[in-house]
Formats: sequence, C-alpha cells, structure tokens
Amino acid sequence: MADGQSSQGAPGSPAGGSHESGGDQSPRSGVREQDRFLPIANISRIMKKALPANGKIAKDAKETVQECVSEFISFITSEASDKCQREKRKTINGDDLLWAMATLGFEDYIDPLKVYLTRYREMEGDTKGSAKGADGSGRKDGLQQPIPNSQHPQLVHQGSFSQGMNYGNAQQQAQHMMVPMPGMD
Amino acid sequence: MRQASAYSKMLSGGRSGPHALPLARIKKIMKNSSEDVKMISGEAPIVFSKACELFIEELTKRAWAMTLQGKRRTMQREDVASAVITTDIFDFLINLVSDSAHDHCPAQESLPVLEP
Repeated sequence: MADGQSSQGAPGSPAGGSHESGGDQSPRSGVREQDRFLPIANISRIMKKALPANGKIAKDAKETVQECVSEFISFITSEASDKCQREKRKTINGDDLLWAMATLGFEDYIDPLKVYLTRYREMEGDTKGSAKGADGSGRKDGLQQPIPNSQHPQLVHQGSFSQGMNYGNAQQQAQHMMVPMPGMD
Repeated sequence: MRQASAYSKMLSGGRSGPHALPLARIKKIMKNSSEDVKMISGEAPIVFSKACELFIEELTKRAWAMTLQGKRRTMQREDVASAVITTDIFDFLINLVSDSAHDHCPAQESLPVLEP
C-alpha cells in the first residue's frame, strides 16, 4: 500500500482511450475506497431481494459481500484480459467476459446474461431511433425470443457460445460494442 | 423467474438508469484489476452489472442458508464466509473471507478459521 507514487488513483481517462505505453502506473496503490467497491446501498438492495421478508443482514455481512463483488469483477476481468493478450486484442468486450465466466465455473450465469444483453441491445436499437416505431408492440414477444443455446444449457461452455453470441447480425453487434455509453462517466 | 424484475426495471428505467449497479464504478474496478486492462468495450460493464447481481444473489442465498442452519435471523459475516468455503466456484474468495485483519471493517471480531 505504501508505494512511492500514491494518490494517482485511476490511471487513464474514463473514455477508455488510455493508450499509455507500458509504464509503471501502480494501479492498486492509493486507490480510493469509492473506486474499489460498488456502493453498499446497491449491494444491500440486491441482497435483500434474495432474502425472505423477515431476513436481516448485519453490516459486516454486507461489507463482506461488497468486497467479494469487487474480487469477482477482478477475477473475471483478469481472465478475460489474459485471453485478449493471447489474441493480441486491446479491448475487453462482453464476449470475453462471458468466456471467462464459463471458464471459471460461472456457466450458470451465461444464459441469463445473454438474455439481458439481447434485451439491452434491442432497447439501444429502439432508443437510437434506428427501429423507429417499427415494433413497439412486439416487445413482449421479444422476451420469449429463443436464444440459440438456451435449450442446451449444458452445451454452453468454452468456445461454443462465441457462436451463441451471434444472435442478431454481426455488424450491428460490433457497432453496439463500441458505442459510447451515455451516462457512463 | 427471477429475471422478471430486471426486465421491468429495464423497461421502466430505474433510479440510476436501467442497471442496478453503477457502470462507471464497475469500469473503475475492472481497470484496477490489472495494469494490462487498457480498453473496455461499452458492453463489458453492462455484462458485469447483471453478472454482479447474479453473483450477489447466489452468495446471499447460500449465506442465508448458513444463517438458518445456525437458527438465527440475521446474516453475519461468518455466514458469508461459510458460504464461500462450502462452494467450489467461490474458492477465489477464500483468502478474502478468512482474513480477519482487514482494512475494510475497522472493528471486527476475529473470525474462527474454518478449515475444511
């Protein structure tokens, strides 16, 4: 913790355009608490939803889960980042994360995440005006839309879902990947 | 079907946008995880916002089972620790939860070390 260069919290700009050439930015030293954890109120809200109404949660339990979540993000991100390095790519994308989760034992998350992403992409499409007024009423059916791998969850592991992710056309997908996120920073 | 609430939230728009967790914060934590993490696609934090929700739910449910086993109604840190120790995919958290001297919570009764 006590490292030479302190208080240089987040290296690079949030725009993801950090193109530093190597260099020793020490990412862990001097990182502020609010940069290391997700807000405890959000964590607490999600935890409560998972419990019966009469269930209570002590503060130390919430804080432990809060730390675990950051560790989870780092764990998955590191695995995904290694994959990107092996493949000589600079940008970690959603598929890399799904791959990392499947590799590290979280394959149960893949199907719900794909559904979530599909929903998100549809909404992005709608709000961007590209599908203006086309199917406002078709939305409900969209929820039931079959995802290629969903009938065979046991088949969803390493590699196989990179195909599975190709619902929608590939170009549109690639476009969405790089879209700047409103309200991100 | 636990996705239902997420859908309705996505459709109606929640407090801080449609996602249950702040995307900018997720991105910071991703960047903090390694020096090699240089660029992150816009979709990556969105994947994590949902993945973290699933992760928190699972950890909480497993911890709650431990609380009930102890015939209590309030989940404690040790319940989360037991849930981590008894679940294979949470192995990467073992050091974190069995570390009784930790910088995050200042006053902490020391956790009994549970060796399997």
